[in-house]
Amino acid sequence: MDLVAHTLLVVGALFMVLAAVGVVRFGDIYSRLHAAAKGPALGVVLVGAGAAMSIRTVQATVVVILVIVLQLIGGPVGTHLLGRSVYRRIRPPLMGPDELGPVVDAEDVD
Amino acid sequence: MIAIAYLLLSIAAILFVVRLLLGPSVADRIIALDGLLVTILGGVLVNAAWVDSAVSIDTVLVVALLGFVATGVLARYIEQRGG
Repeated sequence: MDLVAHTLLVVGALFMVLAAVGVVRFGDIYSRLHAAAKGPALGVVLVGAGAAMSIRTVQATVVVILVIVLQLIGGPVGTHLLGRSVYRRIRPPLMGPDELGPVVDAEDVD
Repeated sequence: MIAIAYLLLSIAAILFVVRLLLGPSVADRIIALDGLLVTILGGVLVNAAWVDSAVSIDTVLVVALLGFVATGVLARYIEQRGG
């Protein structure tokens, strides 16, 4: 049981490292948002499961489940808000065709 | 084995701080701060597993809520102020 819990902790930490490497190495802010949104979500799920399996009390399990639900809801919402603000205000050049730009410009009333 | 998890989280935190220091725009720094906060959350969880007690587990809940609210507020700040 402890071996499984510790393996979950290490794999979750590994996902954090992968997300950090993506945030440092990617050359575009949208790519960095992509890396920063997906890695830590899975990392928190795995590390939380490992910690709950290692502690094995009701309080720890409830709090960890709450944190996982909060992270899985709040992480994508925050990343989406950030991406929306960046696209509407800064708009760094995309790596592909930009079909959203004229639509946003047409409806942007401020 | 838990020491390896500590080491990996330290590497992740260092990489996020690198992006925090050289991020070209404000949004890059917000991304780096958010990732750093999630890394801290993982560190508190790993520490709770290390000492095998649920005393510090409530901190994780506070940090998760703080990360969500902070990202939303900073995104709103970019949208109103620009750049």
